[in-house]
Amino acid sequence: MDRRITEFIAALRAAGVRISLAESADAMRAVEQAGITNRDHFRLALQTSLIKDAKDFGTYQELFPLYFGREAPPPLQPAGGGQLSDEQREQLLRQLQQMLAQLSPQHLASLFRSMLTGEPVSGQELRAMLGQAGPPMMSNQRYREWMTRQALRELQFNRLEQALRDLLERLRQEGMAEETLRAIEQAARENQQALAEQIGQEVAREMADMARGEGRVRPRQRSEAELLDRPFERLDECDLADMRKIVNRLAARLRTRLALRQRRGKMGTLDAKNTIRTNQRFGGVPMIVRHRKRHLKPKLVVFCDRSVSTQHVMTFMLLMIYSLHDQLSRTRSFAFIDRLYDMTMYFAESRPEEAIERVMREIRPTRSYSTDLGNALGQFVRDHLSAVDHRTTVIVLGDARNNENDPNLEAFEQISRRARRVVWFATEERWKWGVYDPGSLSSDIYRYAPMCDALHEVTNLRQLADAIDRLFVR
Amino acid sequence: MLSSISDVRDLLATQQYIASDEIATAMFLADKLGKPLLAEGPAGVGKTELAKSWAGATGRELIRLQCYEGLDETKALYEWEYAKQLLYTQLLREKLSDLLGDARTLREAADRLAGEEDVFFSERFLLPRPLLRALTSERPVVLLIDEIDRADAEFEAFLLEVLSDFQVSVPELGTIKARHMPTVLLTSNNTRELSEALKRRCLYIHIDYPDLESELRVVQLKVPGLAPRLARQAVELVQRLREMDLKKHPSVSETLDWARALVELNSHQLDKATLDTTLNVLLKYESDIRRARRALQGGPDRPERPDRPDRPRGGYRGGEWTN
Repeated sequence: MDRRITEFIAALRAAGVRISLAESADAMRAVEQAGITNRDHFRLALQTSLIKDAKDFGTYQELFPLYFGREAPPPLQPAGGGQLSDEQREQLLRQLQQMLAQLSPQHLASLFRSMLTGEPVSGQELRAMLGQAGPPMMSNQRYREWMTRQALRELQFNRLEQALRDLLERLRQEGMAEETLRAIEQAARENQQALAEQIGQEVAREMADMARGEGRVRPRQRSEAELLDRPFERLDECDLADMRKIVNRLAARLRTRLALRQRRGKMGTLDAKNTIRTNQRFGGVPMIVRHRKRHLKPKLVVFCDRSVSTQHVMTFMLLMIYSLHDQLSRTRSFAFIDRLYDMTMYFAESRPEEAIERVMREIRPTRSYSTDLGNALGQFVRDHLSAVDHRTTVIVLGDARNNENDPNLEAFEQISRRARRVVWFATEERWKWGVYDPGSLSSDIYRYAPMCDALHEVTNLRQLADAIDRLFVR
Repeated sequence: MLSSISDVRDLLATQQYIASDEIATAMFLADKLGKPLLAEGPAGVGKTELAKSWAGATGRELIRLQCYEGLDETKALYEWEYAKQLLYTQLLREKLSDLLGDARTLREAADRLAGEEDVFFSERFLLPRPLLRALTSERPVVLLIDEIDRADAEFEAFLLEVLSDFQVSVPELGTIKARHMPTVLLTSNNTRELSEALKRRCLYIHIDYPDLESELRVVQLKVPGLAPRLARQAVELVQRLREMDLKKHPSVSETLDWARALVELNSHQLDKATLDTTLNVLLKYESDIRRARRALQGGPDRPERPDRPDRPRGGYRGGEWTN
């Protein structure tokens, strides 16, 4: 039993639940106390000592039956739900025998028999069948459904459907009553369902075994440095949670740096005029030194290209900027596809993470994917130009691939003239800038470039953090 | 002594606390393994009540430490009783002069004084706060550390020593070990992620809102005056409210308050008038009450966002922003 528990813990770890050695020792002691006779108590004892986070309950509930499940397959119904007379059963079995002789792969025949007669298929038989179909390639339990479907397809499970219909048809021709046929069909279908479930369990168990085989470390977990340097478009969903954490930490670091800088900034440079004036009463002897205070707090306007390719960059950048919020007196953000959307509202209403999720959900490419920055800029100049003044830093996030639309350089120039500075965060690698791309044709980045104060290549988190950090360097 | 999990349930039942299998198992293991139990879950599902009931059931004293932002060890553990120390110095001045009177050099006097100093930093002048009281108590106690998620991370780190070894270090006195292992229960409303280290030292249980039948049993047990049919209706309504998108969902304790209110008002059915007058017992926000009323009276729940979902709301609420 101890061995089984150890295996179970290893599987939990493989599925991403963090369990320390102390906790697994606790689990053993807990099981000793709670006993193993009552399955519920046993399950709860393990759960209480192993799972310390509500979000891991799902994984636990998924894996537990695989390791401590009963070997017995799910209950199957006897033919026709047990309502058949001897004669009818005789008839059914006779037809079934004929059908079975014709069903070609061996395993399909035994599945079909089990489906109609309700004789269970043992775990061993099932493993042998799946062994022929090939073992699952993936160990992550998230793909369990998918792998199960794959296995069912490999086993040609859907042919059972056809076989059942054939059988019913034959019985009908032999003059069996409709009512009886329906009973047979219903029982068979329920059994089919149960068998599919059993196969699913078996697949999941194999996957868990495989995950364990791959060692203790979660194979998907990447180191922080690797994540920092990983291009945004090559991140997958598994990395996102880790990335969020890194972003939060980076933002916290930036925030303390900024606060420090601002405190130092208060000292500022010597204010000669003020110093002389203050010291008049001391006969011009500089007793009190006055400094020029800097209280030019930056304001920010962010333009984001909201297309699928820049989605992750945008998420992280907005997260980072909004975590710096107390350092920035005002931040307004806009998204554009072919027209301009004001996103500021979302951030005013809810916390950054939620706001970004809402933005992603509600602002999405609808009609087509054609980015039209020119049009969006025009709209901005018309409606929101007052948001830009001599204290405002404008950040544009995008690849400047305009789909041959008018780049509207005049509007950009107007913004650039009003703003304190304009910084472009380019979401493509530097070598792609200005290069013709068959997907979206031209890149206008070098046409906007002369009006920008800086162009940063932002394709991974490290570059993004650096670029944001540089914004505030005075 | 406890011998099985059902014993725990029976014990808690004597305090009118209906424990689920999960709670009973967790409590049993906390007692058997001598580990703290961390109970997480929404407010008002009976986490604190569990500690109280456990103390009542086992006949132990309940020592409660309510956590809050800025709570530090002087408030949680001990404090020197400066006033008392001062008073004693005053009273003992004469004794001091006796003691020091025949000292010939300053050094000798200082040495003698140093010899006596320990008196002032002894347990006599130590003002024990909840944690120290729990550790030094003559009899085993139940220690409830309530809403640990409100305390700062530093305090959480400080607790680690207490939770793993049941001992604390007082610089002037050394390490104080627990005389009897207290049963420790921590609660958290999940407003903040607790540290791995803390979680590792605890058993863990997530207590959620009870399902309809369990809540009904709680109501019938605690508010026996309520007619069974009405009790069921009331609990059904509460469960429905929990599924709505409200600022604050009614907790079990609020269900009980409401049930008591219904008994006090001699209600026989949940009609509109009764609801109108008593809904504020369940819901604590005006907007929630209004929304619940609309939903309960059958009308369609007015959508919060009237505009089309594919278009963000235009305009900036604050108008032009100047500063």
